[in-house]
Amino acid sequence: MRAYPPMNSIIYVILSVLLVPVFLLMSAMLFTEKGRRSLLLALRSLLLQKMRAILSVLGVVIGIAAVISLMAFGEGSKHEALEDIRRMGATNIMVRSVKPPDDASTQRRSFVAMYGLTYGDYERFATISSVIRMVPMRVFPQEIRRLERMHNGRVVATTPEYADVNELPLSAGRFLTDEDDLREYNHAVLGSVTAEKLFPFDDPLGQTVRLGTYDYLIVGVLKERMPTGGSGGSQAAEDFNNDVYIPLSTCRGRFGEKIFIRQSGSRSGEKVDLSQVTITVSDMEKVRPTGDVIRGLLQQRHLKNDWAVTVPLDRLEEAERTLMRYTILLVAIAFISLLVGGIGIMNIMLASVTERTREIGIRRALGAKRRDITLQFLIEAVVQTSTGGLLGIVFGMTVIFLAPVVAERFFETHMPAKVHGLSIGLALTVAFGVGILFGWYPARRAALLDPIEALRHE
Amino acid sequence: MPAVVRVLDLVKHYQLEAVTVRALQGVSLTVDEGDFVALMGPSGSGKSTLLNLLGCLDRPTSGNYFLGEEDVADMEDDQLSEIRSKYLGFIFQSYNLLPQYTVVENIEVPLLYQGRPLNDETRAWCVRLAGLVGLGDRLDHRPMQLSGGQQQRVAIARALVNDPQVILADEPTGNLDSKTSDEIMVMLTKMNDDGKTIIMVTHENDIAAWAKRVIRMRDGHIESDQPNEHRPHRNGAAAPMASEPDLRLDGPADGIAVKRHPA
Repeated sequence: MRAYPPMNSIIYVILSVLLVPVFLLMSAMLFTEKGRRSLLLALRSLLLQKMRAILSVLGVVIGIAAVISLMAFGEGSKHEALEDIRRMGATNIMVRSVKPPDDASTQRRSFVAMYGLTYGDYERFATISSVIRMVPMRVFPQEIRRLERMHNGRVVATTPEYADVNELPLSAGRFLTDEDDLREYNHAVLGSVTAEKLFPFDDPLGQTVRLGTYDYLIVGVLKERMPTGGSGGSQAAEDFNNDVYIPLSTCRGRFGEKIFIRQSGSRSGEKVDLSQVTITVSDMEKVRPTGDVIRGLLQQRHLKNDWAVTVPLDRLEEAERTLMRYTILLVAIAFISLLVGGIGIMNIMLASVTERTREIGIRRALGAKRRDITLQFLIEAVVQTSTGGLLGIVFGMTVIFLAPVVAERFFETHMPAKVHGLSIGLALTVAFGVGILFGWYPARRAALLDPIEALRHE
Repeated sequence: MPAVVRVLDLVKHYQLEAVTVRALQGVSLTVDEGDFVALMGPSGSGKSTLLNLLGCLDRPTSGNYFLGEEDVADMEDDQLSEIRSKYLGFIFQSYNLLPQYTVVENIEVPLLYQGRPLNDETRAWCVRLAGLVGLGDRLDHRPMQLSGGQQQRVAIARALVNDPQVILADEPTGNLDSKTSDEIMVMLTKMNDDGKTIIMVTHENDIAAWAKRVIRMRDGHIESDQPNEHRPHRNGAAAPMASEPDLRLDGPADGIAVKRHPA
């Protein structure tokens, strides 16, 4: 699988820039007596003035929450795309028949619409060297009958390889075999809902169902299958549980070339050789080139635009684009809110320096060097922004867990979220870094005060 | 007695907008170890400027200043900080304790900036000093919870914590009533008896009367420099406190001050 450069490289750049000052201040804070004292003092005054502290770090809180949650949503959509690809198979290409939009020429024709992939196309696909497996399918709606019971389902006529391309958990019996196909047996495998509808009380294995004018022996029943998501845009959502699977050769013999569909009183006919061919390519790098070859091939052979090629790997590109959008948004929001947050911190620290001028004078008189004063105020700023960072993480986590629920409930959209592994470390580092960056000026100002002036300050 | 402070022709000019203020115009002074000097003079006479220079809080425009072995006059800011934390103790008119810190923590501050680790030993030393100034039972109080006299006693303990060569006191009794002032002065006298060199700025004659030597300043010059012949408070005073200050550690909180107060 390809790496995702934007998000991760941005994280690494930020981390590498911030890590050195953050590390230096951290060690000064934790491993020197002065640092520890300043840390304690900062925590003490933070607890004494909770409200003031919270208000002053609000910008940091929002910024960090935005970073955490947007990273999670970006990560979520990426994860979902990968999940989809895994389900459809990363090395697969789906070629489907698509009913072309009605135009004047088709209306003039007979009521039998002819379109889609042909057996000729199928044989041509086999000539592409990177193709290692092809699973043809012919899918059409059909009444499935058994005695007085009837179920409106789909007939899926295919070859035994279908089981290799799709995950097909069987609850009883077996899937179609090469022999079924070769000898054009009237054998069928039922989807879970079909079986439930037609055989509510007894075991369907060994019994028969009627499709059209012929009876078929039931050799297997499938477990319930997850519908594949229609998230690809070009790929429609499919529910497999209403299917009945029969051998493709049997279908050609029994149903003929034309399929008639009765719909609300009218009848329409279709002549479609194959509804879909799932092509498996030898390795991942060849998926896209093979897709292009297939497109070119179909373009030559078809006058109408009655086919579609779906490459699941394209979903990856789409996910990358989504991630990119999130990343840009993230950087913009994080930058603005952390800038605002940082200025808030600078403001409060400048006020604090003025308020505590005398304290600075006392400390200088008692032997504090300029860098001791700088360190003290830097630690104070960093303690505030880190607290803001922690609050932001809590806030962001809340958003991550609530937003998908809210989106589902009120906006009926899907909002996948997955917490990015690095995001918490990044958030804390950034919060710490903002403290150093915006605390520096007030701290230097405190350090450069003239001790005599400072001592005289009221 | 070796000289602790040697000042030669010290000059300090301030630039106040267009006017040059000649705060010190060539002051020379030697203070021996164990001396107790009172600096007096009207406001604007340069006594505060001199004290700031002696306290290494400021650098002279010209002249020399030797503190012990160190030539301090041309030192960098960081070096001056080091000198202050090693050799000097400060007592201010307005106590200048850190409001966020407890009594013991306030006493510890100079040690913190010496860069030495604070451990049980230093903590015990600070507690001992707090006991010595009669605040053994208020170790965890904050300055806000203490009276002026008590705060000044914390400041005295803080000035002693780094075992300084010179203690600089800037009107140490300026904010206190006369009874508390006397208590503070008894304490300073005792420190002096223990060998500490004290330089104290004051404008009150009865406070200056506690000192061994009185220097009067006027217009940036030393006007007079005389030993204090009759220290009224010393008459009939008990023998100087023994050299180690921890003798009174277990005594009553205000015991030292009361007993040492002149009859």
